[in-house]
Amino acid sequence: MKKKMNRRTFLKYSAAVGATTAIAGVPTLLRAQAPEIKIASIQPVTGVISDIGISMRRGNQMAVDDINARGGIKSMGGAKLRLLLGDSEAKEDVARSEAERVIKDGAVTLVGPFLSGNAMAIATLCEQRGVPFVMDVAAADEITKKGFKYTFRVFPTTSKFADSMLFYMDKIMKEKNISKIRGVVTNTGDLFGRVQGATFIKALKDKKFPIEVLGHVEYPLGIQDLSAEISKIKALKPDVLFPVARPGDAKLMIRELYKQRVELQGIISPGSPGWYEPEFIRDMKALADFVMDNVPWYNPVGKMYKEVNSAFSKKFPGKYIDTNSGYAYLGVLVIADALERAKSTKPDDIVAALKKTYLKQDLMVGLAVAFDERGDNINADTAMIQIIGQSIKVVLPDKAAEAKYIYPMPKQIWDRGV
Amino acid sequence: MDLNLILQLTTSGFLLGGVYSLIALGLSLIFGVMKIINFAHGAMLVWGMYIAFTLMNWTGIDPFFSFAVSAACLFVLGYIVQRTVVNRIMTFHESMQVIAMVGVMMVLENMAQLIWGPDPHSPHTKYSLSTIWLGSIMIDTPRLLAFLLAFLIAAAVFVFLKYTDIGKSIRASADNRTGALIVGTNVNRVYAVCFGVGAACVGAAGSLLVPLMPVSPHTGFPFKLTSFAIVILGGMGSLPGAMVGGLMIGVAESLGTVFIPSSLKQVISFGIMVLILLLRPKGLFGGKG
Repeated sequence: MKKKMNRRTFLKYSAAVGATTAIAGVPTLLRAQAPEIKIASIQPVTGVISDIGISMRRGNQMAVDDINARGGIKSMGGAKLRLLLGDSEAKEDVARSEAERVIKDGAVTLVGPFLSGNAMAIATLCEQRGVPFVMDVAAADEITKKGFKYTFRVFPTTSKFADSMLFYMDKIMKEKNISKIRGVVTNTGDLFGRVQGATFIKALKDKKFPIEVLGHVEYPLGIQDLSAEISKIKALKPDVLFPVARPGDAKLMIRELYKQRVELQGIISPGSPGWYEPEFIRDMKALADFVMDNVPWYNPVGKMYKEVNSAFSKKFPGKYIDTNSGYAYLGVLVIADALERAKSTKPDDIVAALKKTYLKQDLMVGLAVAFDERGDNINADTAMIQIIGQSIKVVLPDKAAEAKYIYPMPKQIWDRGV
Repeated sequence: MDLNLILQLTTSGFLLGGVYSLIALGLSLIFGVMKIINFAHGAMLVWGMYIAFTLMNWTGIDPFFSFAVSAACLFVLGYIVQRTVVNRIMTFHESMQVIAMVGVMMVLENMAQLIWGPDPHSPHTKYSLSTIWLGSIMIDTPRLLAFLLAFLIAAAVFVFLKYTDIGKSIRASADNRTGALIVGTNVNRVYAVCFGVGAACVGAAGSLLVPLMPVSPHTGFPFKLTSFAIVILGGMGSLPGAMVGGLMIGVAESLGTVFIPSSLKQVISFGIMVLILLLRPKGLFGGKG
């Protein structure tokens, strides 16, 4: 056969590759066993955010293992939980098809999925199929605003993030006698990044908060080069940078700020990953210091935290329980608690039990997990953390603080002699 | 408008464009000779990065020196991929070729994730944070070095194709496969070498990128898309086209951030691609493929 490839066919197949990559999920072989309750974890285990996805899956899995080790769901004859694994590849369409697959495989409740965009896709499907869905991490307000009946969220919403951020900023500004801050907000272009950035800016405007937003820079998730964006930010001459990032771009950003010698009083994230993972400090060393992040952090004095963290660090050397793995663990606990009280795997019984959840925990900052009518956890909270001497300290609120925050940064990033 | 900002963006974009050029050169070479689109190009870039990264961790050799090792390893990888996969699908319909090449991409990408883990690494190299200042314009040293080395490597590839026997055979096979066969060229070997050279280019480029951006299994994807745009802009299979196209796309993407949000960055390269397809479908440099 004579084959002919011209520009148009080239273009056609360039498009085809996108579609083909989307069907990369490898189905897991599953065998049904009698006294088992299947629940499913859908996380972005491959793709642009796979580092966090794997950390989340580990959190989910460890919680399931711990519950089974403690005797499973006691009200149902000690039935063991079995975690079906799904990989969203950080793509909405794959998240949906993976959710479809695990539901078909018999999952009675789904947990996941870190990315808000993916969460929206899964929540929509779960609503259609009538299967409960517990979001361990996913912050965008929009998801629960849709009025889903089967979706619950353990994680704080973006509005909650913004409220806490303003509370902490107010405290810092008052204590340091600062009347006004000129800032630039950056965020990734995925649903969470957008909503988180926009909600923060809106909260500043609505409350007439004395932080002037000089610019708002948005860039795609998985970006490889931030030089142009940082040049733009430098030209705006902000006092403080308010970045909503992800692990890869957080590192790129710090390096570019160093190279372009951007003068800042502080880098304070309104709440995002990127700044607290062990790899950030490992790679950035002294450049990481003084970065602050408003995150749903672990509770450093909690008994549950200490137990889970020591097991987690032992199982995965070099890792620790952070926002994501911690909430992933908590998400599964919430499901197990609901199953225990529901004494049934029927969706409506589980939903009824979830609605009445009051799960005491001291794994993460915040009080017992309890849901409002939208399905949001009313007691989810954030802490302000700061990297000081290349280790992470809770600096606000005062009652949980391990150290006093340092603001403004005593030394510019480019002046740290790396 | 702030002139400094424009100059800064142009400089950064131009220098990164050099690396884009080298990546696109490999893609264009493979397409020009074999008429196969190497969808695994981005994954090969990632392998180049990880090889340099691993060498640096083990021996302390800077990626700017170890690019030769990355290139050599990727040459072998490319050679093997051509012999085992590409050679079998050369006569297949394009749609079937795509499936096989995407398969290679997935295998390579996920192997990288299995071997090196999913966490992005930003290793600290000797030059990764060094800069040169020309007045208020910052020139990123690793970017400058990557640019210079990328052009040196590209020049070496040109010399190889022009003056060596195997290089001449590659060009002969590209121009007229049947003719090359008639005069006794071992076309299969020529193709494998050519695929190897294409992969070596992207492997070297990967190594040069290590000081510039986080190394992670999925770093390659956006580069692959950009290099498609570059190859179409420069002209399919045209090597000078790939070089010039790379620089143009580099500058355009960087400058574009002044006018449109960065999240729409790729609109620029694909916008240019669409314009070229409409106005000059052969690409800037004619497309000898």
